[in-house]
Amino acid sequence: MMYRRLLLASVVLGGLAVAACGGEPPPEPPAPEPQAAGPDLDSLRAYEDSVRAAQEAAARAAAERERAIAEAREILEQRVHFDYDESAIRPDAESVLRQKVAILRASPAVRIRLEGHADERGSVEYNQALGNRRAQSVLDFFGQQGLMAGNFQTTSFGEERPLSAGSNETAWAQNRRVEFVITAGGGSINPAQ
Amino acid sequence: MRSRSARSLRSPRFLALGAALVCAAGTSVPSLGAQDIEERFPGVSLGLTYETRTLPALAIQPFSARGGGVAQATQVENIIARDLRYSDRFTVIDAIPAALASEEVDYALWDELGATWLVTGRIEGGGASAVLILELHDVVYREVAERGRFRIPETEAPGFRMSGHVASDSIVRWVFNEPGIAATRIVFSRRMEDGSQDLWVVDSDGENLRRLTSHRGGELGVPISLTPSWSPDGARVVYTSYKDEGLPRIYELDLRTGDEKQVPTPRPGDYMSPAYHPDGEFVYFAINGGGSSGLFRYNIADDCCFGSLMQGPSEDISPTFAPEGHMVAFNSNRLGAGAPQIYLMPVDASRRPEIVSPYIYGTPGYYTSPDWSPVGNRIAYHGRVERRGAHQILVAELDAQNRVRQTSQITFRGVNEDPSWAPDGRHLVHVGERDYGYGLFVTDLFTGNSRTLVSGIRPNPPAWSPPLAP
Repeated sequence: MMYRRLLLASVVLGGLAVAACGGEPPPEPPAPEPQAAGPDLDSLRAYEDSVRAAQEAAARAAAERERAIAEAREILEQRVHFDYDESAIRPDAESVLRQKVAILRASPAVRIRLEGHADERGSVEYNQALGNRRAQSVLDFFGQQGLMAGNFQTTSFGEERPLSAGSNETAWAQNRRVEFVITAGGGSINPAQ
Repeated sequence: MRSRSARSLRSPRFLALGAALVCAAGTSVPSLGAQDIEERFPGVSLGLTYETRTLPALAIQPFSARGGGVAQATQVENIIARDLRYSDRFTVIDAIPAALASEEVDYALWDELGATWLVTGRIEGGGASAVLILELHDVVYREVAERGRFRIPETEAPGFRMSGHVASDSIVRWVFNEPGIAATRIVFSRRMEDGSQDLWVVDSDGENLRRLTSHRGGELGVPISLTPSWSPDGARVVYTSYKDEGLPRIYELDLRTGDEKQVPTPRPGDYMSPAYHPDGEFVYFAINGGGSSGLFRYNIADDCCFGSLMQGPSEDISPTFAPEGHMVAFNSNRLGAGAPQIYLMPVDASRRPEIVSPYIYGTPGYYTSPDWSPVGNRIAYHGRVERRGAHQILVAELDAQNRVRQTSQITFRGVNEDPSWAPDGRHLVHVGERDYGYGLFVTDLFTGNSRTLVSGIRPNPPAWSPPLAP
């Protein structure tokens, strides 16, 4: 089922993709000889083969691009985590953010909401502010990397939307995070150059 | 204001009975053993700042009924007896022998039982037209000190319990000339298993727990509402919710009509921690993010006049007002992220904020969630005992110039957070975590008594209402 849908899509996209990937255009079918008694079966077969090859190449290219876009989206949506009561970007988070920056540079239409979260310790209102400060840290990092602040919005859910319900360090570490919600331009994600 | 010293039990005939009643009423003030104390806050005294003294004994004679109001009489009596116990102002004697259940008042008998005050009640009429004739007797002078009439709806009518609470508060006012806390409610948000959070409300005696909002969320909205705060007249509640935009916004709910208003959002950022100014017109709140943070206000009564109290790089949140409305206390991390402190300043910003919490350079501590008492000039808040440990409730006593005279830690067991004052300025409702789970607890600053208001649920910050009409 999935395969058929992919094939269908590839046929539709075929014409565009061929030009995009610089493949050989299919040869013109030879003009029929006026005196020929019947159709030239060999040249017709060659023509059909070349069309099929081009379509398959286009399908492969489209699939590859789909995969790259999906991967880029995954990176864009990947959470980053924080230390207890901290809003500083950790080194592990920084490498994730750098990958996001490369994608966002290639995807100027994408708009993202940065949602900060806190673990359950500390007061409810303070944690709302802490979550916002974490989102703001990410925004500041993006700004330093030359991304437009206007493409982002920061907000916070405080401690109200934990990923993990436990009351232990493992759960808390998961819950201290910024989530990346694509609010617009989700169809215009381009893989990093 | 009248006072009576505790009276000894003089008659051997009633000695045993009287002692049993007093013990059953549970007036002993818990002493604080060293094992209860996890860690001290710098410069903070432990426990009560008040001399514990014996509470005056108040007896309740079984209420009578003329003309069919027997159920009302019995239930109102039970409501009042519990309210007076929860007032933490009396030793309540209500489990009295049947022999004393008479309409006649035998002062000598009550005197021998050690009662200073006696409450009698009589329901006249029945059904929807019942009236409670409530009398406060001065047992020492053997006379009726005060008398009041209270309309009592039928027991199943919505206003029934609240009418009993209003009668209870009259007794407190008659004896002490101070506000009671019975005719009040506590609003809070409740975390459900599915992650949603709506506003709930419960009566001051833990009865009548019910849901105030039923938000669903939508395409953008997230059904999370929290940090409610009462209007000074008790008719409205202002709160933060993600219900429409998936972003925190501030709403006012009119409890009588169900109408809702939203504070406009002319600036980007998270709108949170709303509180009414005592004028009942302006709502103050924090805006975080969007370039700068600060405390802002909006006249929600007239739908106008969006303004700023202060803005800056630090997060200033959780405003709370002195009852006269001229001072505001709030929470700020201006001394460093991770070290929030409590401050106060004039509402007109004519002076710089002054610190309230016990900040010490090098060990700054973590103090949040201030609430300014409606009477008595105190600020309650909570502090972190240790970096990864529990929070406990602290109370700062302010002098006439709003300088901190003394700070006391008033909770010691489990985790206790997010205090809110009752109208009497001595009781606090707060979130608590115990071995057996979460709940809302009520702690009395004067006796140290603590009771469970609601348990078996996961509550978020509560707010105690002003006195409410029946």
